[in-house]
Amino acid sequence: MKKLFLCTCNGTLNKLLDFTRIGKEAKAIYDVVEVADNLCLEEGLAELEKGLSGDDRLVIGACSSQIIGVPMKQRIKNDLVAFVPLREQVGWVHLEEGESATNKAIVLLSDAAVQLDYMESQAEFTENMVGRVLVIGGGIAGLKAASDLHRLGVEVTLLEPFKLDKHHYLQTSVFMSDADTLRSEIQEIQKTILDVERIRGEIREVRGQLGSYEVTINGAKDGSMTQEFGAIIIASGNQQSLPSSAKKMRYGKSERVVTLDSLISNSKKKRAKDRSTILVAVDFDAPMSSVEGSHLLRTTRDLAARGNTIIVVYSDIQTEDENLYREARDSGVIFIRGRVTRIKENDKGLSCRIENTLESMQRDVIADRVAIPRLIGPTIETTQIAEKLGVECDDSGFIRTRYSKMKPVQTSRRGIFVAGGAKMPMSLSDAMASAQNAVLEAFKIVRSPLVRSGWIPVIDDEECDVCKACLDACPNDALRLMDDRIVHIPAHCEFCGICVSACPTRAIEFQSHSKESWFARFEAIAATHKRLEGKKPFSLVFACSECANASIDQAGFVGKQYGTGSYVIQFPCAGMVSPIEILKGLVVGANRVIVAHCPPGGCHHQTGDHLSELVVSLTRDMLREIGQNPDRVRATYMMAAMPDKMQKEVPVRG
Amino acid sequence: MDKRGRLIQKIRNIAVQTPTHILEVPEKVEGFGSINYKPESCSACKKCIEACEVEALDIDLMVQLPAYLSAIIPEEGFRSKNRETLISLLQILKGEGDVQAIPVPSGLSGYGSVVWITEKCIACNKCVEACPEDCLDLEKKYDLPTIIGNVVTPPSISITEWEPFVICFVCWECSHAAADLAGLMHLHYPANIRTVRVPCSGAVEPIQIMTAMENGVDGVLVTGCLLSECHYGGDDPLAGNFMQQDFVHFWQSVFKEIGLGGRLHIDFASAAMGIRFAEIVTEFVEQIRKIGPSPLRGKLEVES
Ligand code: SF4
Ligand code: SF4
Ligand code: SF4
Ligand code: SF4
Repeated sequence: MKKLFLCTCNGTLNKLLDFTRIGKEAKAIYDVVEVADNLCLEEGLAELEKGLSGDDRLVIGACSSQIIGVPMKQRIKNDLVAFVPLREQVGWVHLEEGESATNKAIVLLSDAAVQLDYMESQAEFTENMVGRVLVIGGGIAGLKAASDLHRLGVEVTLLEPFKLDKHHYLQTSVFMSDADTLRSEIQEIQKTILDVERIRGEIREVRGQLGSYEVTINGAKDGSMTQEFGAIIIASGNQQSLPSSAKKMRYGKSERVVTLDSLISNSKKKRAKDRSTILVAVDFDAPMSSVEGSHLLRTTRDLAARGNTIIVVYSDIQTEDENLYREARDSGVIFIRGRVTRIKENDKGLSCRIENTLESMQRDVIADRVAIPRLIGPTIETTQIAEKLGVECDDSGFIRTRYSKMKPVQTSRRGIFVAGGAKMPMSLSDAMASAQNAVLEAFKIVRSPLVRSGWIPVIDDEECDVCKACLDACPNDALRLMDDRIVHIPAHCEFCGICVSACPTRAIEFQSHSKESWFARFEAIAATHKRLEGKKPFSLVFACSECANASIDQAGFVGKQYGTGSYVIQFPCAGMVSPIEILKGLVVGANRVIVAHCPPGGCHHQTGDHLSELVVSLTRDMLREIGQNPDRVRATYMMAAMPDKMQKEVPVRG
Repeated sequence: MDKRGRLIQKIRNIAVQTPTHILEVPEKVEGFGSINYKPESCSACKKCIEACEVEALDIDLMVQLPAYLSAIIPEEGFRSKNRETLISLLQILKGEGDVQAIPVPSGLSGYGSVVWITEKCIACNKCVEACPEDCLDLEKKYDLPTIIGNVVTPPSISITEWEPFVICFVCWECSHAAADLAGLMHLHYPANIRTVRVPCSGAVEPIQIMTAMENGVDGVLVTGCLLSECHYGGDDPLAGNFMQQDFVHFWQSVFKEIGLGGRLHIDFASAAMGIRFAEIVTEFVEQIRKIGPSPLRGKLEVES
């Protein structure tokens, strides 16, 4: 049975909306209509529970689903439930519109009734996770990850690629912290992982998915072996290299041209004679990370403190610690923004021409030495490992993470994480922290079977052209090509529906959100609106269920008023909207269709904000071309911190 | 250049007038045809492009709105219900004015159309078989005007003393024997022909015919065994001479379009038909005499 439960919100909402009329209208489309005063409190919930049987389909007309949904879920087993936020999206935002607000409530309830018709139970799946974790790389981050996992009681295999041995890490990690700290740190950790399985070798092949990655390793000793892992942590570290400009700086040609680190590390034995003039030529074109910047400042500060004259020619220096810059200046380091264009050697030393890009002036400086800071990049192994594991790298070859703030260790593939310098140059403490973070993520996966539920995309092989558009679009590697058909991997799926809009044949439909369901809902909205409001124009707002929906609820909380002819329809992600839904919205009579997504770069599904902009732009182009006003369709972002967005999009009348 | 490219180059070389008609391709002639493409049901899946071995198809990142708007949706609908929905919605919303194709925003997959490069296509039908959406079919039409493009007519020539010069491809079997017999019988046929012996009339390749023309001959004659008596296939409809007959008819239509009408002929004679052979040659030479010298002689003269 279709049942509607309305809540007066402690006798307030029925003062804003005409509950009698709502109830009367609702009786025509619902089998049962009940009104409670406090649906979210014990008494209300008990009443709700009493009034339901297991196979009832249910609409809750109350406050935002973010609020009422929580206690309800705990009490009620019915999973076919739709929410109509009568408070945040009607009562509180249309205070001045009396009758029209009630009309809007009725329209939304008629939409919800149709929504119920198409609703399916969420798919549930349980997958057993392999308990072992693979850590790749035996540098500080890798050791730390292995050690922490071991301490948590997780089985670990530590794979040390051939070329990345202890020496490599000690050599290339000078910028992380001083060598002694690093060495002692490594020794400490080594002691904790004596019984961890360690293999020297390289990855040959990786198959499978989160929870069961099947990895074949070419070992140094025992030939190849294949083992299953629930999760993988990449910790293949950094390596340092000379910038391409080194040759032009006469590196290798003149003994006076050296790397900056050699001036420091050799200081005890054959330290550069103090009181010499050292020109530090930073590569003009390579971007500098803050770790590299801090290292540069620290090194030059120390060299200056020993009585040398230090001139740093740079284009941009970033640092984690502003004090370092001050300290360097205080020790006498001279900073010139520009580039070294020419170096000539004569008996006095090196004559260096500096082009000052700030003042566009040239000047020549005679230096005893030229020091070149080395660049920090990912190890070559990182690229190879990334390729084998199928994870993405950025332009410099570092492992790309999903969004640096929210999931700083998550690579483009679920179940595979990155720790330490393989992501970007990091200080020792940051590398350790990122290892801990990766361990936590891996631990969450392997500790117990994965139980998930949600509406999933369903692929119809008959309709599928195997065009692979969905594979490219899925941000989570949750679709794969196997035996010339597309296979869905629920363990990876984030239930965003982006694949649906990418599919040119709509061979993919999202459960409960089929094309037919959208169309029927839009039609219900349009028909009810027309019956109650006549010719008054209305807008459809396709809002993503994350930021945009939060922003719209927030408008209610802070009472930002907007016009009534505005019907919000939630999409799991704005990336699921295709031109078809937008055009249908116009065809049923909407004056405007607004697609609301998360702020740029903030999409919870990574690409939805961008994709929805593209879909809207295509739709607008089509409309323009067929002689319609393209401005009837808009894409925009909304977020909880901007509760006035709805007001901007759907202004109050008059 | 591939074989098809060379052939088309040869046709361009010998064309003396701009072709204007799309040609019918005779039934047995394979390798020449036109792909009909319906963008309205295309899913841009690229299956056809993958299937085409000669790269005659390419993806075009355009939404073919004109085709969408003029499409008539069949009763049973398109196979791709999605495209069908899009098209019917667009048709409902269509306002005033002309409609043009629009580019697909870069980064958006699942949209686009296919372009077919006429001159590369060898009409193998592979794309048609590969297309899951039934947007392609192969038609027995050859779009010569598009392929050849504009032709500059060579300067006309004034030849006062002229004897036709004809190349005759004779098949190893009957025709050659017939030619021999004609000789043995001391039958008179014009001395204007040079015979080229080929294993079977079916083995004469168009490129050889074009090359002969390119070098300034006034006509090309192909002779084979009597129909149904081909030594390579007998009365099989796909026997060498049956096939060649259709091909020559096709090339005759091409010749007509490019200003060389009447300069290509095919005929048949058995080994015992020396007289018939002599007649064929005489008739063809007379025909050429009437048409006049090959206009390409002028072109060659200018070039040399
Ligand atoms: S719903 Fe999203 S995550 Fe799941 S398969 Fe589709 S695109 Fe991938
Ligand atoms: S996008 Fe659609 S048609 Fe293309 S492969 Fe995926 S499911 Fe099949
Ligand atoms: S018929 Fe053959 S050659 Fe022509 S486009 Fe199709 S696949 Fe390519
Ligand atoms: S195979 Fe058919 S549907 Fe696919 S791109 Fe080619 S024409 Fe379009």
